[in-house]
Amino acid sequence: MESVKRIVRISIPLILICIVSGATLTVSNDMTKGRIEEVEERKINGSLSIVFPGASFNKMDDYYSAMINGEEMGYAFVAEGSGYSGTIKTMVGMYQNGTISRIHVISQLETPGLGTQIAEPDFTNQFSGKRIEDIRLRRDGGLIDSITGATISSRAITEIVRTRAEEVMNETR
Amino acid sequence: MKLDELTKGVFKYNPIFYLMLGLCPLLAVSTRVDNALGMSLGVLFVLVGSNVIISLFRQWIPPEVRIPCFIVVIASFVTIVDLFMHGYVPELHERLGIYIPLIVVNCIILGRVEAFASKKPVSHSLLDGIGMSIGFMLGIVAIASVREVLSTGAMTIFGYAIIPIFTETPATVMLLPPGAFLTIAIIMALINYKNIRKERK
Repeated sequence: MESVKRIVRISIPLILICIVSGATLTVSNDMTKGRIEEVEERKINGSLSIVFPGASFNKMDDYYSAMINGEEMGYAFVAEGSGYSGTIKTMVGMYQNGTISRIHVISQLETPGLGTQIAEPDFTNQFSGKRIEDIRLRRDGGLIDSITGATISSRAITEIVRTRAEEVMNETR
Repeated sequence: MKLDELTKGVFKYNPIFYLMLGLCPLLAVSTRVDNALGMSLGVLFVLVGSNVIISLFRQWIPPEVRIPCFIVVIASFVTIVDLFMHGYVPELHERLGIYIPLIVVNCIILGRVEAFASKKPVSHSLLDGIGMSIGFMLGIVAIASVREVLSTGAMTIFGYAIIPIFTETPATVMLLPPGAFLTIAIIMALINYKNIRKERK
């Protein structure tokens, strides 16, 4: 009997604290949910118009079809995968014939100053106009120059883009 | 004296240079001054919030389960910071990334709650939280300033160029973990040197 009492005395406050914080978190989640969705959507929309400027987009299953003047130009899609540290998420624009129009890194957590260069135009511009099979580092037999000191990050983003581009190509064929 | 509770965290018992707490986020986020300021604001909110709540309920928390209780309260505050930062300052949220959720395990917070707020009245805990956060901010901003200037050759805080150009050939190593260790070591050495000289006099 004594031990039951002791357990109750210990557990009731902990349970109460958990209930109160659960309720507080529900409220703050509801308060911020709309804004967070908006922020995420704005990020996606912003990067869509970077990879296909001036196009309008129709959402398909897991990619967007890019239309210019009512004609389908190509596809835009998000490619995601592990980098050197954390996930690299990038928007890719691809013409119907399998040539990349542009890529734009949405988020990444690479080493500041080294790996983060994968998000900079000097690196990402290399993808524009390349065919899927050439999206490999030069040392892996492709046409992409890796960043000095950040080979792993460079290879990661290159592989992520190519793998996803191949998938979308197969889906749309 | 009450004001002592505020100032002790800033100088005498500075969480970074005296208590040596919270070094993990310190190493990771001190690459740029704006990141350091953002992190300090997060820590300020979580530490003051947890200190006050724990101190308010300190008599009702059974000592056997005090650590789980503290962690639940701290984790709730961190999640609130994370959600609001994501919604309202997305750029900062993106740059601080994983280090916001990791405020939960920042030992400054659990350390202050356990050693101070769970034993002292609310007003003292509030001041302690503010003082420790300011101490943390001073430390992290000092280290971030050194690292940013040396690693990028300039210093920009929220878009304002504080030091437009310092060097044309910045040292990338200062951006990487060794740069953080070196900076902390040199600052600590200077502080210790000063303290030892003071003692000798």
